[in-house]
Amino acid sequence: MIYAGIDAGSRAIKVVLIDADGSRMIAKAQADQGIEQGKLACELFEKTLAENGLQRSDVGRVVATGYGRNAIDVADTTITEITCHAVGVRHLVPDVRTIIDIGGQDSKLVRLDGNGKVRDFAMNDRCAAGTGRFLEVVAARLGIPVGDLGATASRSKSPAAISSMCVVFAETEIIGLLSCGRAGEDIVAGVQNAIASRIVAMAGRSVETPILFTGGVARISGMDAALRTALGQPVAVSPEPQMTGALGAALLARRHCENPS
Amino acid sequence: MTAALRQISLEEWDRRRHRLREEGLVEPIYGGPLGRHVADGDTRLLKLRFDDSPAALRLWNFLLTEEDRLRAARESGKKLVGAMKDLGTVPVMAYSLDNLVAFYPDGAWWIPCVMELNTGLLQIADSLGIDESFCPVRAMLGAFVTEAHFPLPDLLTCSVGATCDDFSAIAQRLNGLGHPILWWEIPHRRQSEPGEQAVTLPGGFETPRSQVEFVKSELLRVGVALGELAGRPLDDESLARGIAKANRVRDLLDRLRHLAFTAPLCPMPALEMLIAEMLAIHFCSDRDETILVLAELLAEVERRVAAGVGHLSTDAARVFWVNPVADLQVMNLLEESGGRICGTEYLFAHALDPIPTTLGPMEALAQMALADPMVGSSFDRAARIVADIRRFGAEAVIVSRIPGASHCALEGEIIGRIVREECGLPVLEIEVPSITDAAKATLCTRLEALVETVKDRRE
Repeated sequence: MIYAGIDAGSRAIKVVLIDADGSRMIAKAQADQGIEQGKLACELFEKTLAENGLQRSDVGRVVATGYGRNAIDVADTTITEITCHAVGVRHLVPDVRTIIDIGGQDSKLVRLDGNGKVRDFAMNDRCAAGTGRFLEVVAARLGIPVGDLGATASRSKSPAAISSMCVVFAETEIIGLLSCGRAGEDIVAGVQNAIASRIVAMAGRSVETPILFTGGVARISGMDAALRTALGQPVAVSPEPQMTGALGAALLARRHCENPS
Repeated sequence: MTAALRQISLEEWDRRRHRLREEGLVEPIYGGPLGRHVADGDTRLLKLRFDDSPAALRLWNFLLTEEDRLRAARESGKKLVGAMKDLGTVPVMAYSLDNLVAFYPDGAWWIPCVMELNTGLLQIADSLGIDESFCPVRAMLGAFVTEAHFPLPDLLTCSVGATCDDFSAIAQRLNGLGHPILWWEIPHRRQSEPGEQAVTLPGGFETPRSQVEFVKSELLRVGVALGELAGRPLDDESLARGIAKANRVRDLLDRLRHLAFTAPLCPMPALEMLIAEMLAIHFCSDRDETILVLAELLAEVERRVAAGVGHLSTDAARVFWVNPVADLQVMNLLEESGGRICGTEYLFAHALDPIPTTLGPMEALAQMALADPMVGSSFDRAARIVADIRRFGAEAVIVSRIPGASHCALEGEIIGRIVREECGLPVLEIEVPSITDAAKATLCTRLEALVETVKDRRE
């Protein structure tokens, strides 16, 4: 028997399959999110099973998480991404006390206790200023692929000062900076700093270490350094930054199957 | 253990009311099907889930007929007092005079929610230069302009000083539109300096005697104006009788809250409890009827607790809620997410405390006004919240922010920090706009995650 976790994020759907004792990730897969969220998730799930020679009947339980979790019909239950990230992180790096998760549309700071349980959490409110969306906006404006943002930012010697309060205002600032001849690398580095400063504001005064950085934005080089600088604390990137939520969901599927109460 | 009761939709309520009427339900004069309020424009009711008791039906009908009551009061020759930025002081004084009826114009902040932005009140406020960077209470400006939601009062009072900047700006704008306001000053509550005589206020805060004397002098000034409006002076004897009635309301609410927040099964949903608590501020324009409405609600809750029935299951996450919400639907969402209310601090905790009857009536009211959580620091509020969390056994706290409201920009952080330090509970801060439909998914994620966190911590 295997267990599955599906993380339907705002930008990508992730699927993780784990084995019966939860010790091994059998498969992981990812696809772009779209309008028909339930259908896309189901297709990715079925494709992942097929590619690994598995049938739906081999799966003991499926847990869906993420922003589109309620649209996933193949899931037996849904659990929020807060809980799933905590479980996924606990599995990957057991001693973590703070998770910073920056996804395409939201960002979260999750505080864990010594047993890896969620002690408290905070999420960004309505503005996308502390999220991956901010990076997409700057990438589009500068004509740089999102995947190249990290390398671009690394060339900056003097990051630009950019507002962290509102993506729309920030985009206006970026246009202003470009018209002043400011280099693209300084603008990208400035945006990374702005995102980091939103996370610091969300974190409040105390952030316990070790800190682990998860979510799609953790894959962009330079973001971890921006967070380190803003927080004044070491920040490690998760071994599976984008899969952490789906992994946690799969682990919870296994846990629920063993202990249905 | 699961509950036997369920919340019902507005359509279900109208069918249920029909059956209850056939079985002999007798309603007060303001009774009737809830559906008629939708016809009046209260379309948000269609999206809410309601408690199914006749006591709840009466509560909703009482709330939603306030405008009719105010107009009837005027027609009968009574004078109307609009008590602004006042959470339970001037209304107690006004209702001590038989021919005065006080109401709460600030309550118009809920109209954009209940009428789903269809009234144009916020657009009127926009046109008056009070845009959405201000507290949603700016809807009150539109209500004064259209005169469609309450009759214009004969006297408008408003506290000023230790009140929100937003509200002061909105009230001044109203004043500038030609609505004269009797301002009365409430100072920021402070600790006594060495050598100053201190007074312990109801609720436990301390303040210098000089502050109490100052507020007393301000309330005496308001009292004179109320007396002139009523045509007879507000004497201590009348005021003492008014305080006794206000204390009857507060006592009923205290018992209601205690049962609702501590019973193993939730005997009354969060939404009805929120409405019930709000009656403490201004009695929904009829103090005596408020007592009857609350007494019936309490009797229903006592019956349910005795019978061991309620809403939600016994394992619902016990949540303490701070600040009222702009969108009433959010109280339903908490329950749909598996949480129940076990303690509240809707910015007027002092209006739920008994007014001392061993003091002179004006001294007692001055002390109550100074006990208002909003006129002191957020640290004071946090201290009271911590005490109530312990009293009601809450397992988590939600601080809901009101977009644009500025009673304290840092209150969420301060309350959150102190609750975490003192109680070790998770604290969730959320922002609730007048209509949450677009933010419902993300809001539900936060609420569900909090419930998951609470349940995980129990293991």
